[in-house]
Amino acid sequence: MSDQKKNFRLEEFKHREGIDPDKTWTMLEHAIHEIYNQNISGLSYEVLYRNAYNMVLHKFGDKLYSGLVETMTARLKEIARSLEATQGGSFLEEMNKKWNDHNKALKMIREIMMYMDRIYIPHAGKTPVDQLGLNLWRENVIYSNQISTRLLNALLELVYGERTGEVINRGLFRNITKMLMDLGPSVYGQEFETQFLLVSAEFYQAESQKLIECCACGDFLKIAESRMKQEIDRVSYYLDPMTEKKITNVVEKVMIENNLLILIHMDSGLVSMLCNDKYEDLGRMYKLFRRVANGLFKIYEVMTSHIKESGKQLVMDRDRLKDPVEFGVSEDDIEITLDKVMMLFRYLQEKDEFESYYKRHLAKRLLYGKTVSDDVERSFIVKLRTECGYQFTSKLEGMFTDMKTSRDTMQGFYTSHPKLRDGPTLTVQVLTAEVWPTQSIVTCNLPAEMSELCEKFQSYYLGMHMGRKLSWQTDMGTADLKATFGKGQKHQLNVSTYQMCVLMLFNNADRLSYKEIEQATKIPSSNLKSCLQSLALVKKRNVLRKEPMSKDVGEDDAFFVNDKFRSKLYKVKIGTVVAQKESEPEKLETRKRVEEDRKPLIEATIVRIMKSRKLLDHNNLVAEVTKQLQSRFLPNPTAVKKHIESLIEREFLERDARDRKMYRYLY
Amino acid sequence: MGVQKDRVKFNVGGRVMETTSTTLANAGRNSMFGAMFDENWNLITNTESERFIDRNPDCFGVLLDLLRTGELHVPPNIPEKLLYREALYYGLLDHVRAAKWGPFDGNRLRLSCSMQGQAPGDGTAIRAGPDGGCCVAHGSMVHVYDWMLEEHPPLNLDYQRVNDVGWVDSDNVVIGVSERLGRGDGGMGLFSSHTGELRYKFHVCHENQVKSYTAGALSFSSDYKIFSSCKGRSNEYGVGVWDQVTGKQIDFFYEPLGWSLGDADKLQWLEGSNCLLVATMFPRKDNCYISLLDFREKRMVWCWSDVGAPFAVDEKRVRDAIAMEDNSSICVVNEFEDLGFMDLRSSAATSIRWSSRSRLMKGKMPEEPCYPKLALHAGQLFSSMNDCISVFCGPEWVLTSRLRRSYGGSICDFSIGGDRLFALHSEENVFDIWETPTPPII
Repeated sequence: MSDQKKNFRLEEFKHREGIDPDKTWTMLEHAIHEIYNQNISGLSYEVLYRNAYNMVLHKFGDKLYSGLVETMTARLKEIARSLEATQGGSFLEEMNKKWNDHNKALKMIREIMMYMDRIYIPHAGKTPVDQLGLNLWRENVIYSNQISTRLLNALLELVYGERTGEVINRGLFRNITKMLMDLGPSVYGQEFETQFLLVSAEFYQAESQKLIECCACGDFLKIAESRMKQEIDRVSYYLDPMTEKKITNVVEKVMIENNLLILIHMDSGLVSMLCNDKYEDLGRMYKLFRRVANGLFKIYEVMTSHIKESGKQLVMDRDRLKDPVEFGVSEDDIEITLDKVMMLFRYLQEKDEFESYYKRHLAKRLLYGKTVSDDVERSFIVKLRTECGYQFTSKLEGMFTDMKTSRDTMQGFYTSHPKLRDGPTLTVQVLTAEVWPTQSIVTCNLPAEMSELCEKFQSYYLGMHMGRKLSWQTDMGTADLKATFGKGQKHQLNVSTYQMCVLMLFNNADRLSYKEIEQATKIPSSNLKSCLQSLALVKKRNVLRKEPMSKDVGEDDAFFVNDKFRSKLYKVKIGTVVAQKESEPEKLETRKRVEEDRKPLIEATIVRIMKSRKLLDHNNLVAEVTKQLQSRFLPNPTAVKKHIESLIEREFLERDARDRKMYRYLY
Repeated sequence: MGVQKDRVKFNVGGRVMETTSTTLANAGRNSMFGAMFDENWNLITNTESERFIDRNPDCFGVLLDLLRTGELHVPPNIPEKLLYREALYYGLLDHVRAAKWGPFDGNRLRLSCSMQGQAPGDGTAIRAGPDGGCCVAHGSMVHVYDWMLEEHPPLNLDYQRVNDVGWVDSDNVVIGVSERLGRGDGGMGLFSSHTGELRYKFHVCHENQVKSYTAGALSFSSDYKIFSSCKGRSNEYGVGVWDQVTGKQIDFFYEPLGWSLGDADKLQWLEGSNCLLVATMFPRKDNCYISLLDFREKRMVWCWSDVGAPFAVDEKRVRDAIAMEDNSSICVVNEFEDLGFMDLRSSAATSIRWSSRSRLMKGKMPEEPCYPKLALHAGQLFSSMNDCISVFCGPEWVLTSRLRRSYGGSICDFSIGGDRLFALHSEENVFDIWETPTPPII
């Protein structure tokens, strides 16, 4: 073993004698120069490779490496000098050409020195030849003071040129960018990108100032958008992808963010775009503003105040106040209008309040026979049902059912009492108490003919339906009366039940005082007053006269039949003077009733949720209740809390012993 | 077919050989032949003229054949070392290594050769490197061999006793040594496997003070961490964690009361479960302790110990342990080479399920016994006992092969890596290299 080793060392020694490091290096150095001179015809790759190998093998790796660094540095310094001497516009072309030449040479040198790269460099901890070539180029060429500034200026000039509409050599620019990136992202950043962003900011600052002064908002946005696109294109054509985000940030900040408020509030700004349906401009504004902080929020603010303003104007508009939705004539038009109504309806938060009013109006329409078409009414209810569910409309649908049942009942009544056909005709609408918005009122005294008829009907109906109770809603009916006036004029008067009661009194008397009427009819005084008002004080409808002739009905007034009553029409419809709008206390009343209706709903929802969840904390419970109820109304969290407490008191729920915020369902 | 246009003619040391550029392309760009495809040199344009290479023609022929077929056939008249040097010249050494032996299979292993070391004492550990090399620890020295079995300068850390060695990658070796009392020497160091120079020395910090310590067993994770069991001067008993890139200590798991971590004989990083297996065995301690540590939660997620277990007449003490993640179990071995298994899925094992099938050599103990060691590779379980290594396969761990040679005495350690198995003998300072032959021609 040790003999072998000695032999080997002897051989190695011989080898070392065999090569002359200086001579070998001189040859390689010459080759490196020739490669840079692009004159390789006299070189043999195999010979050069073997010589480089021999130097490493015989431990002259240090000499080879430092020689390479020295020679390459000298060549690059020379290149730098010649670049500095280049005149004018060809600087970048020249730089690109020299860079390509250097890379080509570097590749060939590495191929010669491959053995050094593989064996000597890792063990000695040196930089590999490829990287070394880049480092030396960076240090000697790019970082040379003159070249650095000149390169930057040349590049920025090209960008400026392209921004102002010139055609530039993008391929060349791309090559230079690639060179800077090859030398390291930090080189690209330092030597180009940082300055590029600064200069761009200045450029766009100046441009936006100019545009703001002379352009409409829409045009400004159009230009900003196209600038943005240009910059993104520029990055994709000849800059590094990492610049895209930075340069678009610059454009966003300088063009949009800095001018945000000016753009929105310009004469041709957001409000004008909204009013003039400039959808394209609005879209552009949205797309651009969303890129900057607060951009959409500002749009939101201005839009909100604009919409509020327009809404207020709509509400203040007297002409439209009565009938915010104009009804069409044809069925299609009605459909369309109803759809619009549904759209509005979707935005209502307190749907149950709507329901309450809707129900009242519907009741009036149905009872007074004022509906335009049953089909339309039903179709709207179907719409409501699809929107809010079966529960919401069940009562409304119940009203229709009642109407139909009543018709059948009346038919049955008259078939079973054929004798009654000669007397006055009674039409009774039997309303289910739960379904209709009725109030229990004092039944007034009906005229004898009528009350007899009513009793017959009542016994007929109760005979048909056991265990039901009928109460007469005398405030809701109508009557057709045939009247003959002093000079023989005959008219048919269409009046309300109350009015009918009053007028029938005059069959037996010429003059009646208010008190007498009140006593005879037992109509509640407020109703009686409006009833008398509409009979005596409405022009062309005044079938009664009043003494004294004042505008209001007093308790001491007296009434006569107006013998001079005239009308071109045979049928006279005498309306009831009712305040069209709800008075404040009535509003409160409705509101209160709605609130009252909500209570069981809220409690039922709480119990339903807790029954399935067993244990839930306060916030989640409130959120869940709100979620389940929001198709009908938005419950007030304090109200929900109150109901939870009430349920705890009634021992439906209890608070968790450990965590007071948790509720537990008791069963 | 027509005339081949890509023919290349070489004159190597006086012998003319012809090949095609297609064959040469197999050498890759990072070889001398790679330059031939570089148009700058205009090397293959002229098919008529020959390229002269002043090298050994016999070796060139072998290497050219390697490029043609992907197989390496070395005639007996060519010394391997000569071939390796020529391959290095052309940049084909990696090709030679890849063709020299086949992919590892425990049931097809053949003894490739045995190497004699110069170490004076008993062997401590042998570790296979990732590219077919190995390092061997004897006393305070670590000898490093590359895959050609060329020895590189040996490593030592303050000439302290080496407890464990490990390869970080093919260029870097970490050794853990005992501390030297009062001198701050010892601990753990990173060395270049080529030059033997110390590149970095790892520190243990306790309450912001650097402490001297004894580094025990080592393990490495694929996310560049180094684990080592540590015993410090003042209570730094436990397992330290360092970053391979920065060299900084990033964690320390202090030994819980009544448990052993700092004295561990074996650490094994489990990639799948993100845990470290720590095993301390008899006779280093009176009892065995095996645990899995989760460093993220700083807790032992699994543990087993034979403290308080009654000892039967045929005393079974656990001598080595290895976690088998695919089987969710830990395999242990006793001094009679009985294999035992413990379930990893419950958080604490109650008993070991000893496998009676593997009971091989009860009572026939040699004079100087070496305790069994375990290794796992690609679903095959390896166990060393005396002078042979047994290979177990399948779900029931059936004995399928036995590797044995008669010279060098008992096997004190073995290691698998770089598609090779290295076995270190205790008596004669010899280690064996076992390889799988290349696949058959047909």
